Amino acid sequence: MTAAAMDSRPRVPFYRRPVAARILMPIAVIVVWYLVYWTLGSRIFEPPHRVFEFMWNELTLETRLRNGKGPSNLYQMFGLTVVRLFAGFAIAMVVGTVIGLAMGLSKSVNAFFHDWVMAVLAMPALVWALFLGLVFGPQGNQAPIYACILAGIPFVIINVREGVRNTPKELFDMARAFGVPQNKITRNVLLPSLMPFLFAAVRYAFSVGWKGLVIAEVFASDSGMGWAIKFWYDAHQTRGVIGYALFFVAFALALEKLLFEPLAEKAFKWRPRVGDVGVVEEQFLLDQTVEGALEVEQFTGGESDG
Amino acid sequence: MVTTDERPEGRQRSAEEERLLAQRRRDTRNKWLWRIAGYVVVLLIWEYGFQAIMELIAGRSLNDALLPGPIRILQTIPDIWEDGEMLSNFGATLTRIGIGFGVSFIAGALIGLFTQNKWLDSFFRDLVVVSLTSPGLVWALTGLIIWGFKPLGWIFAIFMTTFALVSVNISEGVRALPKDLLDMAKAFGVSSIDRQRHIVIPHLAPYIFTAVRFGFSIAWKVTVLTEVFSSNKGIGFQMRVTSQVFQLDEFFTWVLSFFVFALFLEKVVLQRAEDRYFRWRQEVAT
Repeated sequence: MTAAAMDSRPRVPFYRRPVAARILMPIAVIVVWYLVYWTLGSRIFEPPHRVFEFMWNELTLETRLRNGKGPSNLYQMFGLTVVRLFAGFAIAMVVGTVIGLAMGLSKSVNAFFHDWVMAVLAMPALVWALFLGLVFGPQGNQAPIYACILAGIPFVIINVREGVRNTPKELFDMARAFGVPQNKITRNVLLPSLMPFLFAAVRYAFSVGWKGLVIAEVFASDSGMGWAIKFWYDAHQTRGVIGYALFFVAFALALEKLLFEPLAEKAFKWRPRVGDVGVVEEQFLLDQTVEGALEVEQFTGGESDG
Repeated sequence: MVTTDERPEGRQRSAEEERLLAQRRRDTRNKWLWRIAGYVVVLLIWEYGFQAIMELIAGRSLNDALLPGPIRILQTIPDIWEDGEMLSNFGATLTRIGIGFGVSFIAGALIGLFTQNKWLDSFFRDLVVVSLTSPGLVWALTGLIIWGFKPLGWIFAIFMTTFALVSVNISEGVRALPKDLLDMAKAFGVSSIDRQRHIVIPHLAPYIFTAVRFGFSIAWKVTVLTEVFSSNKGIGFQMRVTSQVFQLDEFFTWVLSFFVFALFLEKVVLQRAEDRYFRWRQEVAT
């Protein structure tokens, strides 16, 4: 079987393989970019090679931003943003887990908080950014970190709550009936059943918190990646704006590939896997589950569990 | 079978049922009491304790104007309404959302259909991941610097943030199409139109509804964000102007009025439509 499969492989021409399609996508983007550049005839818009040159200069520290005594190059900006992200994420995780546990265990607590959690969830990050910027001012880390917490915490709360609600009661009863010690129950029953939900909480608190943080840095901060893209925008430098946009995309992809995919594999190790395709599909399903965690009672629940 | 089994049992255990009903009623009452308590407590803290809390967090005294309570926000609604600004700004934002989301939905649905093909699936995969993971702000600024204030700029931003959610949902729906049912329908000579009407569309509907609801919830936020940068009208523009002149009571009035409106569209109008559409399906209705 495998030998035959390996034999038949080279016969498929390269351009018809999925790998070729994946390589083709960025090329297509660059081609479209050039086409837009030529047809638009805009004075500020710039072609890919100049943007890449700018990015290279940023990476090799050729260019520096004028920012007083503050951080002035890509790595410092980036480091600052990552520190803020982790601070906001950690606080959101801790506080959100506590509230989520309480909401999952008690119907009264759930009724008390539910609508307000939903309101915070649905509020655009822009609102937090503008408001916190006025309250805390652009100096320091406060406004961005609070924006990050406010953006991420509803996802933690909802997912932890759903996790608690979804713990398999029969398994607990059975474990008790067979006299399994409590610490073993916690480790082997509670944690594995909570794991997908905690993982979803981490993932969403991180990616949504990051989006909130960036917006807060644009409107309510004088440093960080968000501030840098705003700097180039104010300077009417297309290469800066698109260059930093691509840095953002690269950061998001790196988070996805280096952090969440290995984490997902660990978190779901106990589950049977269908094959290599399963990982990506599971992610998209997760996307749906978690975005839809609020509506789990409705139809999403049945389908997203797989 | 099931119904004939249940009825006599239900009559016999009417006392039991009564107790269950009472229990459920008590639960509902309890839930509403706590819910109202939640509203009262939060609004009271917002009205009376907001300043103290924010000063504690910020570590310095804050101007009263920065922290409007709910009463003051409610009081500014009539002012804005009388100026006649409310409708025109809502209209401007809704037009943007309508156009932007319409374009992204159609394109996203098409991409979702394309991804049934393995080759096209891997072609679009990275674009979808990029769209799902990168902040909308980046696309708002990029679209703006490429196309200026032209509509293409904000359509680009809305598209880049919204299409992936739509295409992922549609593609899941198409993948899960009941092939056996379709085959059977074909075998029994059901016409193509009837097959679409009775099998394909009812099956895809929940996925389409999910796509619309999630897509909309993201689209309106990005739209507001694009208005901050590239508009002279709309909610986003008003948010920028009012926050720049430190009129935070008006700022919150704009934010909350549109927020309530968007939630109304999302949770009530779309939900209603969905419930109405799925009345025939027991497990969804409950």
